[in-house]
Amino acid sequence: MTGPASLRLAKGPLAGPVLCRVVSMVLARADCPVDRLDDALLACEEITTHGLGYVADGHLSVTLRTDKDQLELRVGELAERGAEGMLAAAVVPGLGNVLERVTDEQRVEPARSGGPEELVLAISF
Amino acid sequence: MMRETTAIGDGGPASTPEAVDIALLLPARAENVAIVRHALGALGEVLEVDAQTLSDIRLAVTEACTNVVVHAYPDGSEGPLEVLATLNGEELTVVVRDEGEGITPRPDSPGLGLGLPLIASLAEKVQLGHDARKRTEVRMTFSLAAMAA
Repeated sequence: MTGPASLRLAKGPLAGPVLCRVVSMVLARADCPVDRLDDALLACEEITTHGLGYVADGHLSVTLRTDKDQLELRVGELAERGAEGMLAAAVVPGLGNVLERVTDEQRVEPARSGGPEELVLAISF
Repeated sequence: MMRETTAIGDGGPASTPEAVDIALLLPARAENVAIVRHALGALGEVLEVDAQTLSDIRLAVTEACTNVVVHAYPDGSEGPLEVLATLNGEELTVVVRDEGEGITPRPDSPGLGLGLPLIASLAEKVQLGHDARKRTEVRMTFSLAAMAA
């Protein structure tokens, strides 16, 4: 794995665009196909749109790691049951859960930094 | 426009705690400077920042990050490069921070020595110093309104 790159994002207009731009650069360097890059950007938009509503301290932290064919997004500083709330908020009527559709794995782990738990998303390419 | 460059000591104003909007932590490698520059492009997406102002901000921050990559860890060891951005009305503050050797004259410097003067000419205010954990900081303040006018 390469990285990590870590971001700490406050609620505001910069959060989504900054996360998307960093993920784009990291995946471009990893030779990610453009369709999976687009899926990753959809996931990032979901993370910044809904994630800040479930954080423990007002900030969302995202750690990125890439393997040769996988991106791992570790979304942290979530409040208790925040990961579950984030996943539930990603449901679009008639389409299903966007995060579950565009990522290959979603798991909840105890936090390695702040907050009770982290949501770990994996995107293979 | 008045430009201000200040060198400050340990734990001085450069280490003032603040509500940071964006914090980006990366290994201090040359390829990661491009990530920082690209991330700063988001300012142009969400704020009314004219192209010249955005270009100046990106150039100044790129220069500060390049200084970290080239100078902070000269023995080949790898350390962190941290970039913090804070928006306060029409003022943007960007702090570039490392855990390296600090800003000292280097006779064997591989660069042209234009980094800090270039940053000082592009930013409204520049402060050099250390935070409470002795990390080296270059704090750049950009007045978005003044630069756009």
